[in-house]
Amino acid sequence: MKSLFKKEKNFFFMIPALVWQVLFFILPLIFVFQLAFFTKLFQNFTWDYIQQVCHFSHFIVIFRSLKLASVTAVLCLLIGYPIAYFLALCTDQRYKSLLLFLITLPFLTNILVQIYAWYFILEKKGVLNKFLSLFLSDTGNWLNTSFAMYLVMFHIYLPFMIMPLYTILEKMNVRLIEASLDLGASYLQTFFRAVLPLSLQGIKTGFFLVYVTTFGEYVVPSLLGGQKHFFVGTLISEYFFIGRDWHVGAAFTCLSIAVFVVSIMCYSEILQRLVYRLQRI
Amino acid sequence: MLYTSKLSKSFWFIFVGLVYVFLYAPITVLILYSFNQGGFPDIWRGFSLHWYDDLFESVAIWRAFKHSIIVALTSSFLSVGMGLLWVHGARKYKREITAIFYSNAMVFDIVLAVGLLALFSALAVPFGLTTIIAGHTLLGLGFTIPVIKSRYDELDESLIEASLDLGASTQYTFLNVVIPFLYPAMFSAFLLAMIVSFDDFLIVFFCSGASIQTLSLYIFSMIRSGISPIVNALSTLLLFGSLCMILIMLMFQKNILRK
Repeated sequence: MKSLFKKEKNFFFMIPALVWQVLFFILPLIFVFQLAFFTKLFQNFTWDYIQQVCHFSHFIVIFRSLKLASVTAVLCLLIGYPIAYFLALCTDQRYKSLLLFLITLPFLTNILVQIYAWYFILEKKGVLNKFLSLFLSDTGNWLNTSFAMYLVMFHIYLPFMIMPLYTILEKMNVRLIEASLDLGASYLQTFFRAVLPLSLQGIKTGFFLVYVTTFGEYVVPSLLGGQKHFFVGTLISEYFFIGRDWHVGAAFTCLSIAVFVVSIMCYSEILQRLVYRLQRI
Repeated sequence: MLYTSKLSKSFWFIFVGLVYVFLYAPITVLILYSFNQGGFPDIWRGFSLHWYDDLFESVAIWRAFKHSIIVALTSSFLSVGMGLLWVHGARKYKREITAIFYSNAMVFDIVLAVGLLALFSALAVPFGLTTIIAGHTLLGLGFTIPVIKSRYDELDESLIEASLDLGASTQYTFLNVVIPFLYPAMFSAFLLAMIVSFDDFLIVFFCSGASIQTLSLYIFSMIRSGISPIVNALSTLLLFGSLCMILIMLMFQKNILRK
């Protein structure tokens, strides 16, 4: 123990966290792959389950989830960017911490509480319909529609987008913006040629944070999306809990991870190109 | 400074204001109706606390709350402890080595939850509080390690050298120099891990077995079975709880800055 500080590297201290990480993170992922490719525990390799899953109906489910994740991430980016910009660069120091605090609060409250709040409003006899019935004779059903789902997804994940964007915009050198304006560029030109490219890293972080978490989303589609359409999260849990077909479920999980990784690489490229293309404005 | 004209200034304020209203409207309605005299389909019938009385009398909710607390405390304690040891051990290694924990929060939850389910049932581990704690500790590590690490990076190596030169043993130095320096970060990390554990739904859903219910799971099943203002009251208390935790966290961070 004498060498606690003297020795250059002390591997001993890293063991507990490392063991935990291997046991409960890497091993579970290996077990999912194992379920998808072996009929018994690491025995009898087979492609059967993957073949069963490579079916049109499964790809539809994956693309529905991709669409949900993409729309949510793009919406959050479009609305979140101006908010982050406003908070980081246009707000008085006095109000900044309060406004920022109000963004972090929903970020750290239980997602189910937020969903319940929306459920309460969107219910057939809920607050929104009560309010609408003052003006309209017949009111619609809001629950179990894709509108409700997108609305709630946007509401929940907006803070996830604002935080990384704010962090990067806050660090930006204001002199650069002033210089650009002094040298005769318009506000739009300054934004597209200086601010936007410099915040590319924040855009990527926020976008992927939202994209990754919404792709596997289970709670919102199952509570607000109705039972008509499956999403990746709901279908996986259907296989594991109701169908009890774990092999096929694991194969579907692997397939959706594969499609998902490809889509992430595409988006990374697209975002980068888009930001540079916008510089020509 | 960055406004273009008077017109766009008011446009900014309206836009930002609307987004904040959008973020807070559902929660406000939820809290308001937890004090409603009437039941769910009713409109406002006057102020009353009787839903809170019902809440405190419900045995199922108390049991779920007890489970949530046990899981949150244990997993936060474990993840802060292991995170502290990791950060201390890994300080002389390349920075990238710590990145293996960042993926814990990034992989989509359902894959992790399904993997844990597959692992535990293949090894015939009985499902219950221990399996949930294992999963939540893993999630917690993804949050505690970055928080503790960012504070550890500010630690001046010469403080440690001074302590050792002045005759303190290595253990004494670790316990009396390094750990007190890290206290605020450890505390924030602990609260963060608790919030993460409280909020998690999927790992509990997959790894709890049939018998254990936590608050997230309880609210989920309540939403499925229909609306009751008891859940409004429960949600209000949960919101208040996380508000308090965040305020304590912020106060600690202010103290760091002042010192």
